[in-house]
Amino acid sequence: MTGRVGPGLVGEIMVSVRGGSEAFYAHPQQPDEVIEPGTQVLIVDFQAPRTAYVERWSSS
Amino acid sequence: MELLITAGAVVVGIIVLALVLKMLWRVAEPNEALIISGFRARSSPGEAADSLGFKIVTGKGTMVIPGFQAARRLSLDTRGANLQVSCVTKQGIPVAVRGVVIYKVGDDFVSIANAARRFLDQQNTMNDTIHELFAGHLRSICGGLTIEDMIHNREALTGEVRRSSADEMSKLGLVIDSLQIQEIDDNSGYIVNLGKPHAAAIAAAARIAEAQRDQEATEAEQIAEAKKAAAVRASRIQQAGYQAEMDEASAKATQAGPLSQATARQEVVVQETRAAQLEADLAEQRLQSQVRKPADAKAYELRTLADAERDAQIARAQARARETELSAGADATRVKTAAQADAEATKARGEAHATATRLTGEAEADAARARGLAEAEAAKAKGLADAQAMQARADALAHNQEAVIAQQLAENWPEIVRAGAGALGNVDHMVVLNGADGVADLLTKALAMGGTGLGLARQLLASMGDKQEPATTTNGSAPVAVRKVDEPAP
Repeated sequence: MTGRVGPGLVGEIMVSVRGGSEAFYAHPQQPDEVIEPGTQVLIVDFQAPRTAYVERWSSS
Repeated sequence: MELLITAGAVVVGIIVLALVLKMLWRVAEPNEALIISGFRARSSPGEAADSLGFKIVTGKGTMVIPGFQAARRLSLDTRGANLQVSCVTKQGIPVAVRGVVIYKVGDDFVSIANAARRFLDQQNTMNDTIHELFAGHLRSICGGLTIEDMIHNREALTGEVRRSSADEMSKLGLVIDSLQIQEIDDNSGYIVNLGKPHAAAIAAAARIAEAQRDQEATEAEQIAEAKKAAAVRASRIQQAGYQAEMDEASAKATQAGPLSQATARQEVVVQETRAAQLEADLAEQRLQSQVRKPADAKAYELRTLADAERDAQIARAQARARETELSAGADATRVKTAAQADAEATKARGEAHATATRLTGEAEADAARARGLAEAEAAKAKGLADAQAMQARADALAHNQEAVIAQQLAENWPEIVRAGAGALGNVDHMVVLNGADGVADLLTKALAMGGTGLGLARQLLASMGDKQEPATTTNGSAPVAVRKVDEPAP
């Protein structure tokens, strides 16, 4: 996560894909969740071309 | 010869084959994508690109059939666009912002397809389009930020960039790698003023530090100066002390001769003074013995004589006074005695004369009163005689005559005595010249008169009893008559 995710904000995530890493726009899966930069997230949905829906990664 | 021709034909054939292959086979380099359209170009590796009318190839080669297919290259390189816009910040401050945006065509097939559809023939003019686009975006980005955010807050800037341009970039199939604000022109002086408090604080701190150091240095310098002055002073004092000692010693040396002369002279004067004093003492003693002692003796003699004379005069005066006093006392006693004797004699004579006169008067009055009363009683007695005579006779006949009389007298005895005393009570301001004896005498006389009257009464009653027989009147009238007779008697 490289850009803060929250209500009214467009976040940014860096994803390792196709042998490199690309930036994708990120929106929270839960509408009012706030995720700080540096947090690991799980991409639960992807919308072409560059929009991902994420939620907080929990190791359990 | 034939072999040579065969070999040449093979070589030519290989070359022709290579040329043909070269014409048909196209390879996509890492920074570009091949867009193949035409015959059998509907299938594409991306799932989402199924409905595309062309094929996208990246990173590998593909056969292109000339005449049936067309292959175009789309560069995936990074492109940059310089931006210069005048905008208004969130605080309403107009600024001129100069920035640069770095973007490229996205690496996924969707982005490549979108970009290919829009820019395939305009790749050289793409920058102009993007510049126009981003000028608008940058204006809106600046409107959402404060100047402080633009300068310091990178996260706010990138967030604002994403929020403002994400959708349009997706439409165009472009990805913004970076947007940097290179310069902010601020005509209102906001940025300059922003730094002024810090600059002023730093300047103030610098001045304070400079002043403090200057003060400390000055203090140290002054302390050093003071110490130097103190050292100089101590040195001067010491020098002066030494100089004084030296001067004193030299002065003493120069004055030694006159001093010794003066000392000797002083001794001479002292001795002369003592001699003069002894002479004065001698003269004083002489005066004492020759003048003062005889004068004292003379004075003593005169004083003693005067004292004796004074004592003698005092004694004489006292004796005269005593004599006069005694003679006056004797005269007074004699005169007083004579006067007392005269007064006594006069008093005695007066008393005797008064007593005589009074007694004479009383006697005359008694006599006159007795005579008047006797006459009145005689007349009254004659009037009453008959009745009383009859009564008395009747009583005497009835009882013992003498007892009746005694009874009557005994009953009336207090009245008789009281009447005698009443005579004395009637006397106003009685002067008794003989004192207690005079009073006793008077009482005795009065009682004696009363007693005489009693005897008279008794005789009268007896005679009445003898002469007249009392009538038949009541017994009570007789004592009343008797009382009336008795009363005036004293």
